[in-house]
Amino acid sequence: MPEPFEYAIKKDVRNNPIVREVDEARQRELWKLVGVAGVIVVVLLFFGWPHFELIRNGYEIEQLQRERREQEALRRQLLLEVESLKSPKRIETLAVGRLHLVSPSQGEAIVIERVVQTDPPARSLVAQR
Amino acid sequence: MQRRTIVAATLLGLWVAVIECRLIFLQVIRHNELVALSTRQQMRTVDAAARRGDILDRKGRVLATSVDADTIYAVPSELKDPGGAVDALCRALGDCTSKERETLIDRLGKTRPFAYVRRQVSPDQARRVAALNLKAIGFIKEDRRFYPNKTLAAHLLGYVGVDNKGLSGLESTYDAQIRGKAGTVLVQIDARKLAFARTERPPTAGSTVELTIDEYLQHIAERELEAGVALNRAKGGSAIILNPHTGEILAMANEPSFNPNAYREFDELVRRNRAVQDLYEPGSTFKIVTVSAALEEKVMTADTLIDTNPGRIEVSGEVIKENANHNYKVIPLSEVIAESSNVGAIKIGFKVGTERLSRFVGLYGFGHPVSPDFPSESPGIVWSPQKWTQLGLAEVSMGYQVAVTPLQIVTAVSSVANGGELIEPRVIRAVYFNNRRYDVHPKVVRRTIRAETAATLTGVMEGVVSSEHGTARAAQIPGFTIAGKTGTAAKLVNGQYSHSDYNASFVGFVPSRDPAIAIVVVIDSPHGPNQYFGGTVAAPIFQRIAESTLRYLGVGQTINPIPPVLVARHDESSGAAALKTLSASKPVVSFVSDGPPGTMPDLRGLSAREALRAAVKLGLTARVEGTGFVVAQDPPAGTALDTVSGCRVTLARTSVAGREQPRP
Repeated sequence: MPEPFEYAIKKDVRNNPIVREVDEARQRELWKLVGVAGVIVVVLLFFGWPHFELIRNGYEIEQLQRERREQEALRRQLLLEVESLKSPKRIETLAVGRLHLVSPSQGEAIVIERVVQTDPPARSLVAQR
Repeated sequence: MQRRTIVAATLLGLWVAVIECRLIFLQVIRHNELVALSTRQQMRTVDAAARRGDILDRKGRVLATSVDADTIYAVPSELKDPGGAVDALCRALGDCTSKERETLIDRLGKTRPFAYVRRQVSPDQARRVAALNLKAIGFIKEDRRFYPNKTLAAHLLGYVGVDNKGLSGLESTYDAQIRGKAGTVLVQIDARKLAFARTERPPTAGSTVELTIDEYLQHIAERELEAGVALNRAKGGSAIILNPHTGEILAMANEPSFNPNAYREFDELVRRNRAVQDLYEPGSTFKIVTVSAALEEKVMTADTLIDTNPGRIEVSGEVIKENANHNYKVIPLSEVIAESSNVGAIKIGFKVGTERLSRFVGLYGFGHPVSPDFPSESPGIVWSPQKWTQLGLAEVSMGYQVAVTPLQIVTAVSSVANGGELIEPRVIRAVYFNNRRYDVHPKVVRRTIRAETAATLTGVMEGVVSSEHGTARAAQIPGFTIAGKTGTAAKLVNGQYSHSDYNASFVGFVPSRDPAIAIVVVIDSPHGPNQYFGGTVAAPIFQRIAESTLRYLGVGQTINPIPPVLVARHDESSGAAALKTLSASKPVVSFVSDGPPGTMPDLRGLSAREALRAAVKLGLTARVEGTGFVVAQDPPAGTALDTVSGCRVTLARTSVAGREQPRP
């Protein structure tokens, strides 16, 4: 029995001219979905951003407060140094020892009282008298 | 294909289920435990120590302040070689004693989570220890009290312990106000232990206290007292400068002194405030009380003659003699005080009587603490009048059998100085709290004597300094009248009056007719070239303190006073007038006394430098226009300083002879 013979004829299908029709309904749905997702992302960012900003500001505030404390401590240290340098005992030691100054003796230092002249009475008062 | 899908789905389901189970376990079952753990890790509660308030003098100069200091701690459980660590730490600290080294080895050898290495170290020591870069060593900041003037007013200020608690002096008395109230800070930290958020209950800062003490006057008192104690080879001494009109203590000095920055290095006896804690028998200074009672009760007058012959008196079998066996014969009451006659004082005391004398002793405040600013103040010893025998009355009349503090005696004499009012002595001038100033006002306790009696007594006390036979001629200051009284009292040693140890004292006020200051000087056991008498030991110290103080306060001389400079208002020739007087007197240094404190002084007639100095002294910024001498100022003299932050002075050049016209 002869074997069945098969003919394969390639069917020339030309679908180039076929243009896929845009499914506008799906497209709208897609964009809607993208829009919704975008809104969700924006909303999430909107709520998340202050939180992250808060943490970032928190670090910044802590840093500034630390600097302020350090500056304040330095200010107090310097004030203490100034007060130590202004100590009357130290100044007197320097004045006497290094500059050879002496306290004024009696007669070298006098106190002069200053009296301020009182205002004359107003002219109208003088006229009344 | 289907089988594979089923397997994959099952595995995925199992994975999800495991995760879900774990989530349920963590978030539901262990929820509370893990929340607590995370809170513990992320939130840290830190005590925010309140900064201790400053202590200022009456012109706002800092006497005590607090600054941050590093405290070094260790985590002994993390230390592998405690001995090596201690060696390194001690090398870095540089001043470890062998005892401290042993203590540290013992402390760091234990498996504790925390141990102090040393508290409140200096910045240099902290830097050196930090440079070691030891793993288990850390630093914390603590407040440390510093006294920039070191020994100045040390006994008065006191000192503070490492726990920021006042242990002595004003630091202890006003600890509750100065210390403030600690707060808490809730800090949120991240994985790197960096803080990024905090919730605070802020600490309440301690109040700043302004004292009545003047830093410079305190220095003068301490300088002269130290020199006097050294010269007289004494054990110690005290000096107080008081404003008799307000009760303000301007200076309170004690010798020997100590440095409160390193108070542990000094003996407790050295840290004692002798001026308010040490009792002594006042001796002849107490005769002021006896005489004031006699004058006030009109028992005698200043001219009443008293027979002190033969220079001794026998009371209840005891013979009481004059000093150095003198015999003053018949002398008026004023001379009894001037020459400090014991027999005369006893006879006055007998005339006054026990009841009246004991009443006056109480009126002057003896036997009770006189100031609330010194809780450790000794009340003194005054026997109940019922226990006074005739001998007791005689002894009290001349200042024995009573014990007083230097503060009590100067307070009593201040009441004579101000016309008869006993004013509570105080050392607190104002307290600053929440940026508001609360002034402490003078408190008149009671009237001791009438103004007329005070005036008579002042005249009597002037004789002590100015009279030819006065015991305190060494207290004289040319140009000033001084009222005072010397005292020399043998010390009680083992219940017996010593023949070698005495308390020499002098108390007085100057200028006597319009007193600016009252001063007491008490010297304990002098053994120097000036012997042991109040007139030779204490009076010269009084004189030196008073002279410097009067010059500093700008008190003009009262005997032959220098004519005041009249500065005419709105008169440009005033500069020339001032110049005339200034050039005529030719002082090396001139001091200008001005209006009441707290008001703008009159700067006219001063040079630019003097005007600037005056402005700076008041804390004002000054703008100067022109050259020469000040002819105008803004704000005008007398303006309250509270409202003034700066001033403008206009200078113009004027000549004494008037050849050159002042600029318009």
